[in-house]
Order: sequence, then structure tokens, then C-alpha cells
Amino acid sequence: MSTRNGQGGGEEYEHYEAVVVGCGPGGAAAAATLARNGVETLVLERGAEAGSKNVSGGVIYAEKSAPYTIDDLFPDFRAEATERPITHNYIHNIAGEKVKTFDLTEIHENDTEWADAVLRRRMDSWLETRVHELTRETGGGVLTGVRASGLLRDDGEIIGVTTDELEPITADLVVGADGVNSELAREAGLMDWEEPDEWFQGVKAVISMPEGAIEDRFDIAEDEGETHLFSGDLYEGVRGGGFLYTNAETLSIGNVFHLDSIVEERAEVSELLDTLLTHPLLAQWIAGDEYEELEYSAKLVPDSKKVAHPSPTEDRLVLVGDAAGQMQAQGPLIKGMNHAVTAGALVGEAFAVARSRGDRSQAGERYVQSLYDEGVMEKIRPALYDRSRSVTEDRRAASFADRLVGSSVGRAGLDAMMRAGIVERLYNSPRMMQVLPDTATPYATLPTAIAKRHGEPIAEENTVSPPSLEERIGELTYDTDIGNPHIVVEDESWEASGAAVTACPVSAKDFGGGCYREEVVKSNGHEERVVSFDSQPCVECGTCAIVADTHWEHPRGGKGVEFEQG
Amino acid sequence: MTDPNNANDDAEPSANEENVGIDVGEHTIEELETELQDVDDPRVLEGLLDAEKDGKRRQGAQEAIQERMDAVSPPAAAVDAEEEPKEAKYRENAEELTLDPSEYEIAELGPALQDVGAPEELEAIREAEQDGEDRDPVLTLLDSRIEKVEAEDEDTGNEEIDLAEMSVADVANAVRGIDDVAELEDLLDQEEAGEDRDPVGKQIRNRIESVEGSDEEVEERLPPEEEHPHLDHPTADKQYVKALENGEYRDTWVYCETQAGELIDVSVEMLGKARELMDSYNETYDEDERVVAVLIGDDVSRHAETCIAYGADVVVYHEDERLERYQHKAYTELFCDMARWGGAPLDGKGPDEADWRDYDEPRYTVFPATNNGRDLSAQVQAELDSGLASDCSGLYIEDTVISNPVKTGQPGAKKDFERVLHMKRPDFSGFEYSTILCLDNPTREFHPQGASVIPGSFPVPEADGDRDGEVIEHDLRIDEEWLRVSVTDYDRIDEGVDLTGKDVIVCMGRGIGDDPTRGMELGLELADAFENADVGVTRGIVTGSYQFDGHVEQYTEEDRQIGETGQIVEPDVYVAAGVSGAIQHKVGMDDSETVIAINTDPDARVRDFTDYFIEGDLFDVLPTLTEAVESGNPDVEAVAADGGARTDGGRETDDSRGIDGERDGTTEDER
Repeated sequence: MSTRNGQGGGEEYEHYEAVVVGCGPGGAAAAATLARNGVETLVLERGAEAGSKNVSGGVIYAEKSAPYTIDDLFPDFRAEATERPITHNYIHNIAGEKVKTFDLTEIHENDTEWADAVLRRRMDSWLETRVHELTRETGGGVLTGVRASGLLRDDGEIIGVTTDELEPITADLVVGADGVNSELAREAGLMDWEEPDEWFQGVKAVISMPEGAIEDRFDIAEDEGETHLFSGDLYEGVRGGGFLYTNAETLSIGNVFHLDSIVEERAEVSELLDTLLTHPLLAQWIAGDEYEELEYSAKLVPDSKKVAHPSPTEDRLVLVGDAAGQMQAQGPLIKGMNHAVTAGALVGEAFAVARSRGDRSQAGERYVQSLYDEGVMEKIRPALYDRSRSVTEDRRAASFADRLVGSSVGRAGLDAMMRAGIVERLYNSPRMMQVLPDTATPYATLPTAIAKRHGEPIAEENTVSPPSLEERIGELTYDTDIGNPHIVVEDESWEASGAAVTACPVSAKDFGGGCYREEVVKSNGHEERVVSFDSQPCVECGTCAIVADTHWEHPRGGKGVEFEQG
Repeated sequence: MTDPNNANDDAEPSANEENVGIDVGEHTIEELETELQDVDDPRVLEGLLDAEKDGKRRQGAQEAIQERMDAVSPPAAAVDAEEEPKEAKYRENAEELTLDPSEYEIAELGPALQDVGAPEELEAIREAEQDGEDRDPVLTLLDSRIEKVEAEDEDTGNEEIDLAEMSVADVANAVRGIDDVAELEDLLDQEEAGEDRDPVGKQIRNRIESVEGSDEEVEERLPPEEEHPHLDHPTADKQYVKALENGEYRDTWVYCETQAGELIDVSVEMLGKARELMDSYNETYDEDERVVAVLIGDDVSRHAETCIAYGADVVVYHEDERLERYQHKAYTELFCDMARWGGAPLDGKGPDEADWRDYDEPRYTVFPATNNGRDLSAQVQAELDSGLASDCSGLYIEDTVISNPVKTGQPGAKKDFERVLHMKRPDFSGFEYSTILCLDNPTREFHPQGASVIPGSFPVPEADGDRDGEVIEHDLRIDEEWLRVSVTDYDRIDEGVDLTGKDVIVCMGRGIGDDPTRGMELGLELADAFENADVGVTRGIVTGSYQFDGHVEQYTEEDRQIGETGQIVEPDVYVAAGVSGAIQHKVGMDDSETVIAINTDPDARVRDFTDYFIEGDLFDVLPTLTEAVESGNPDVEAVAADGGARTDGGRETDDSRGIDGERDGTTEDER
């Protein structure tokens, strides 16, 4: 630690060579790389412990083509911080109670060195310990329970961060690894939370399994694991799909939907989770009499094809991971953490090089250049998608495609393709999956048609009775910042903010215990439909920042929800 | 000048030999550098330099020659330094002349010279006189003074020890060999007259002590101001405790704070604790010491009986309308005067005679750790020259054995301390507890042993109206100076609503949505039907967008919220009307004796932790319930029937209480 003034800093603030905001995989990778290069690095983490604020579906990939993978940076990562190696992959096309399953192992293994299921509390808290060990050597360290609240500027230029808990801190490099709801990115003008069609929303339940049940029911060994993806007609037209991942002793089961579709369909996302959990297909893995949900959680996912920032830097600020929209939806596969790791390491490398050349201000530019040179940008924001989007997502084209799949001509074609194994091959084509259009065709229409024509009926009966939303909220741990709500609804009218009542994962119509509630106010003889709001049950996903008119911030350090699984 | 290479002695001849055969123009710079190694004469080199300057003017060549010149001749500065000394020394002496004899008449010079103690200085003055006026009588005077001073130096017999020349460590070594106290004291005088270094003085004093110590046991203790003259001593005037050597201390004094004229809870809590402490103290030590309550303020004597009922034996009060609000200076002066009962510490005057007390100062003092109490306790304890354990949460009195040399006076020794107030306080945000003791030093007494106490640490005792006690008015003229701070305006912050002590709580939930104002009115009406009841709300009401009419709105604010982020209550009867029963709400009322829920939804979660569940609309059920309570016939079955609802005993779950026996169709605790 030093107290020398930052370059150009007007006042005497504590100064570090680098400040990393957020100790998820992106921040951890950046901090570790910086520290290994002898850069004095301070890491600020708003959770009481790293991982307590983090949610993911949960599979982390190590790509063969990536310049850095997480086990490069953190040896023992797989042994210490992950749940189970993923060795088998399936997608289930569902129409009613008929299911057609394809093996997706081929696309899964494309460019994959390894992939492991993870739970973020365990993973990120382990990373935090390693990062602290490394950064401490440089005179820095990890501070938990500290929320970076904004950017410190001098004469307009970003020179550091402000926090809720500490005096402002200046740094030669500010790494914004503060996640999908990055306040730093928003304040720098690099990201907005405006368009629902730029985001996915994931909702997940972690379910405990009896000892040995995973091995028995999935017929796998202890060092094997599976992913199952679900698509078809089970979501009442909401675009998206379901997933099931095997952890060490638990299952992660959830859905990921396009947020604009959730809004349009007024879908109750917790009910859609129940739809999946109670589907007969899942009866082979989960049973009603032993069903125990450990944790309900939710998260926004940037649709990087649209929002991955082409140049995620401004002055001394660089963004990595979700904060920069760096997430790759390869059809049903979602890869985010691996890109955050790569980006974080590239930031560390860029700063180390810039520092050795005597001009630290070049770090941002060098980082962006290496994102392109190393092929990260092409993966997360493929040029092909930008070009094909105008055709494939055009409404008429989409509806034509839907009608074709439903027509006798289309069915005949589909049958032929099925016989030839073309559909399975297409599912396994990374190129095809990368540019899949955001219409209903790939998510619902096609899988439904496949299942209807070629699916097998399911015999099992699913006896699971998922907890109510009230119970799900009740089971979560909160440290409510009483009198200090982190979200303020700026317009309570139904028009401006009503969408949040259904889209918010902890709210529902006619449910009084959630964040957003529909209310009818009678005054002077006329009725007005409004929303009322309570931040206490908030799971900090950020959905309402996009679909409602709010002033949205993260809670102060250590406050708000604390995920035990993540 | 014996260096054969140095040119000074035989430079002349070679100087005329142009360039010692070197023609600079003929050589490359590299060659020149080699050639130059053989040339030692600066003047020759100078010639070469001139030749180059007139000729090819190569920078490199000039530099090479210059370099050689620097090498053979010492740099100018060094030469100067060698030639300077005599002059410099002379100037130095002239400047440092202690006194200039030419400025004095002979008569004046004699006394002036008495201040000059160093022979060298006197010699210098003598020299100056010789060089100047050269007056014979003056020289004689100086000679005799020089003789005298030199003789004095020899007298001390330690000319080998010149403290001014020695480091602290040297002094420490040197004095170790001296056993003569007089000699050591001379050294001490010498140091004090000279540099007067603190550590040196200490070394010598230590030696004196250890030499003397072997002869006589009694060591004289220097007052701190004399022992450490270089430190400032802000408490130098607080000598009362020492004046009170073997002073008498008795009783536990409790400062009973009032706010806005009313005795606050912690005052009563402290009285209860003090009573308990003194009861067992008196038994253990066979004493009859008392609990003394102190009241200061405007019209405070009316609390005297209350203080006695809660455990005080004596109440000392001082009232004055100017003391309506707490004032740092005035309250401190009054408390300290009470504690000393008119004693004037600086005069060594003991307390005034009084029927009710015959001791010098209180044995123990206890203050509330409120804003005012913290302020007062710190100042009072400092003024009484004792210590303070602040923010304590536990107190007990015990004997203890201490080995700390500061307290025992002898390293390695143990000492018994009797009747020690043990003051427990949370440290490190409550992760650790420390027990603070306030013990006498061998040379200094620390009384009263004082603590401030965190409100709520001790239970409120049972009042005993039959207790007797003495009420004493304290009399002292209040100095206007003490009241120099005046409160011109103040605002009393609303403390909010405390639902924790209620017998019955009617909690309203989002079931009031159809007509929020009417719903709240019905809840208030039911609460009014009981003696000690109030209305609470769920978080859903607080954060909802309901439009309430003005008269009920105040009941729907955060200060009445029950639950995890609101108040936690445990009344005898808890009525949950239109409450769904979120877990965060349950946390706030789960310890209630009897829970009655009214809800239209028979599957509402609240039913899981309800003793009586009435399925029905609160708009129908509440009025009937109110009527039943008012009529003194609280039959739940009847209520349910009248309200068009049906009732059952709630679900049998793990946390259902009182399933059998208690449930006989009535809520037995209502009154």
C-alpha cells in the first residue's frame, strides 16, 4: 500500500497501481495476473465473501484455443473449486409428454480442453483466498464487504473509484469486473440497461441429492458428469430453454429465457422453473418424497452477440467479463466464465507490458487489441451473426420458417434430415449454433416438431412439488440494509414498471411478498393501477433495472442477499 | 611534496620544453590519451590544451587533456581547504569570544568573568585583551580567574569524565564504576548545568539510587513533573488522591440520568445492579455500605422515591431550573462536589462534616453509557483523579491477586487487592470481553473505581415501595461560568413506537387491500378494546402503495413494522389479520404466546404457525371480534360464526404450540 498521489490526481488519496472491482473469475484472473507481474493490486469485493453475490448456471469451460484458462492461472482449481467434470451432454426436445433426445457431446467437446460443473460460492471463495495470497505479496490484497459505488474522476478523466465504505482510491488501472449489472460500466457510459432484447434471464434452483443418487440415476462414475438441455413446448412460447447440471452432491436445474420474451409473454419465471422441475422427463432424476431445494437464484446474462462491448475501456478503466458483455451463447450452450478469465488475464498482461514500456495509459488499448488478436471478440460477437441477423430475425422470415417447420413439406424435410442424422449434426455445429437467430424457431417450434414426430412418450410420473415463491424467498439469507433500499422505483405507474411484477424472479402477480406488487389505488373516485416495491426479497439479478423505471444500484458492502450455493 | 611525479619542485625546466615532445595535432584522440599518461605537469598539460584549442579544436582531445589535468592536480577546492585553516581558526575564535574585554571597565569585568567557567574561553579573552588594550590589571584578573577555574576542575577529581563529550551509553558505562554518591551528584549537576540530556540524567540518577539503595530502603519519589521535566503534565493540579493517602472510601454511587425530566430506564437498571452488588458486598465483608443515587437537574427530587424503591439507600440531589438540560461543566462540578462533599483537593481539605457520610470519596461510581452519561463519566472520573471503564456490560466485586509490578511496586511480587470492582466490557466489536480493574498503585490511590454501563445490560428490578431511604439535598452555588453553554433551541427526535411491551398486538397485513383505511380502522378498534394493546403492520403494508386517510396513515409506517427488519414482539395474544405469513414476518412474532390468524386463504402460510386460524375476511371478522372482547365474551367459535367464517386450530406443524389443553375454543389470555 502506498499513499502517493495518482498521476494527475488532485487530492491526496490512497493509491494502488491497480484496483480490481469484483472477485469473480474475471476479477480474480486480472488480479492474479497483475500480482504475478509485481503490480500492486487491491481487489474490492462487495460480498461478505467472494461468491456470496455470484450466480451462474454453472459450467466453466477451458477452451483449447484460449490464451489463458482458469487452471493456468490457478493450479489445483479443478481439484479444489469445482463440482464435477462434465463428460456427457444431451438436449431434449419436448412436445407435451413426448421427448426426442440428441447427444450434444460433439459440440460440447469442440475446442474444449475440459469443462466442470461449478457452484459459485465454493468456487469464488476459493479463488478469493488464492487472489488474496497473490495480491498480498504486492502490497495489496482482497477487501470484502466493500462496494465500489462509482468512478473517481479528475478533470473528467477516470483516475480511481469511490466506495461506500472507504475513502476514494486512485489507481493507474481500474478493472471493472463488477458483473452483469456493472455500475462502473454504466457510469463510464460503456453500458446501459435499457433494451430487454439484449439480455437473457437465468433462474435456477440447486437441489440436494441423496448420497450416491447422482451416480445411480445418471449412470455415471464419480469423475463423470452430465449436462441436459431442454427445449420445446413446455414454456408456453417463452423463448429460451432449460438446463440440468450435475454437481458433486446436488443438481443445478434452471431456465434461461430471452428477457424481451419474458416481458412480452408476461411470463412468471418462477412458475416456468416449476414447469421444468415437475416435467415427467425429470422424474428419472428427482423424486417428490426426497425433494429438497437448497437455493433459488437468478441472474441476468448479456447477449454478447449484441452487447459485447467492442472497446471495453475508457481512460484508466477496463471492463472484463459480464461487465463488458463478454458472454457467448453458443445456441443452448452458454459460455461466460471462461471468457471473463481470458479477458482478465489479458488485462493483467496488457498493464504489465504497458508499465514496462513506461506508459501505463496504454493498458486499455493493448487489452482491447489482444481481445481481437486472441480471437475472444470473434467468439463472443461473431461478425457472421451481425450479418445474418437482418435476415434470420426478420419477422416475416421467422414466421415463414415457423410455418415451414409446421407444414407437410417441412415435416417431410425434417423427417429426411432426421433419418440422415442431419439435425443432430446441425445441433453439433458450432458455426450454426453461434449464429442461431433469436426467434421462436430454434427454441420452440423446431424442437416441438421434432419431438412430436420422432419423440418417445415418457412413462414416469413426476411427483415433485416445488416450494412456493414465498418459501423460496424465505429460505434465502438476507442482510437487509434497513432504511437504505438499493433500488428506487422512479415511476410507479403500471405502464412504466408493471413488467417487473412478472419478470422479477421474486415477484408474481397476486403475490404480496415479493419485490414488485400490483396495486390498485382508489382516490377521488378513480382507480389507478400502480406497482409497489420492497427491496428486501431482492436477489440482485438486475432484471428490473431493464424492464422497470428504476434507479438501480448494488446494495452496500456485505448487505443484501447472500447466496450459499450460487 | 615528496611525490616524484609531482611537478612542483622541478617544474620549471620542463615547462619550457614545449609539450614534452607531444604535438597534439599529430595524434588521434586515442593515441593522445595514451601519451598523456606520461605527462604529470599541469602547466605542460595546459600548454597542450591551448595548442589543441588553437589547432584542431577537437572536443574529444580537449576532454582527454582536461581529464589528465584533473588527475594530476588536486581539485581547486581541496587546495583551498589546505590553505584555509589558520585564518578560519582565527575567525572562529573571534566570533566565539564569550565576552569582549574591550567593552568592559575593570570593575565590571570581575563579576562578568564569574559566568565564564571554561579555561579555554578565558584564555581566548586574555589573548584578545593582549591583542587589544593590553591592560595589566585586566590580564592579572584573567590570570587569577583562569587559575581558579582550572583548580576547580581538578577538585572534582573526574577530569576523565567530561559528560559533554560522552554518549548516553558511555555515561552509563562510566557511572557504573562510581560508588560515591557525592561524586555522582556532581556529575548530575554538571549534566544539568550543561546539556541537560534527560536519558543521561536518568542514568546517573539510577546509579545514585542503586548505590543509595544498598544503604537505605526508603527511596525518595520524585513528583512526575520533576522526574520528567520535558513532558507536559496536564493533570499536575490533580493531587487530591495523594493528599488522601489512606483515604476513606465507601458506598456505590449511581448517577441516575433524567431526560426531558424523566428517569430513563438504564438509571433504574443500574440501581438494581448496584443494590445486588452492595448486598453481597456487605455480606462478604461484613460492612454496611450503601447505594447512593445521584440526581442532578431541574425538579429532580420527585424521582427520589423511585430511586429508593429500586434500591437506593441514599438519594443526593441538586436541583436548579438552569439545569433543565444536561450541561457538561455544571454537572461535572456538581457531581464532583457531591463526591468530595465540599472537600477542596488542592488545599488538602477533607469533606465537610455531614450526618450521612463520613468518608472522603465514593468507593465505586456507576454511570449510564448514554451520550450524556459517557460525557459526564469521563470528566468526573478524571477530575477525581481516577480511571474509567467505559461501556461495560457486566459488573462484580471480588478480591484478586495481581503480579503487575506497576501495581505491586516490586517485580516478581504478588499483591492481594480486596473489594475490586470487576468491569466487563465488549472489545473488538463484541468478539472479545475484557475485564477492567481500577487498582491503586503503591504511591497513588485510584478511587472511585468507575464504570459506565451500556443501557439494557441489566434487568429492570422489581420496585419495592416499602423501602426506606434518606434524601439529601446538595447545596452549592452554581458559578455562572459553568453555564457558559446555553441551549437556544432543540428538537426531540421521535423515538418511534415500541410494541415490545404490549400484551396484545393486532397486526395488519395486505388483506386490507380492498379498503386500506377501513382495514386499519378495524385493527385499531380491536386494539382499543384491550387494555395494553397496539397495532402493528407487515412489511407489505409499509412498502405498499396504499392510499391511507390521514388519521390512520401514522399507523402504517415503518416504526410499526413487525418482522425481521422491524420489531420483534412476543405478546400474550397476537392477532394476524390479512397476513400471509412470510418467513421474515414469522421471525418477528413467533414467540407470541397465542397467535390468532384471520385470512381468506385457507392455505396461507401463516396457518402453519397459528394457534387459531379463522378463515374469513378481516372486514367481517374484526368487528365481531372487537364486539366480543368489549362484551367480555371472547369466544372464538362464536366470533367466527358471527363473522361468517370458520375456525380451526391451525395446522399441526413442528412449531405449533399449545395444541392440547390450551385450546378450548377461547383465547384465555384476553382480558
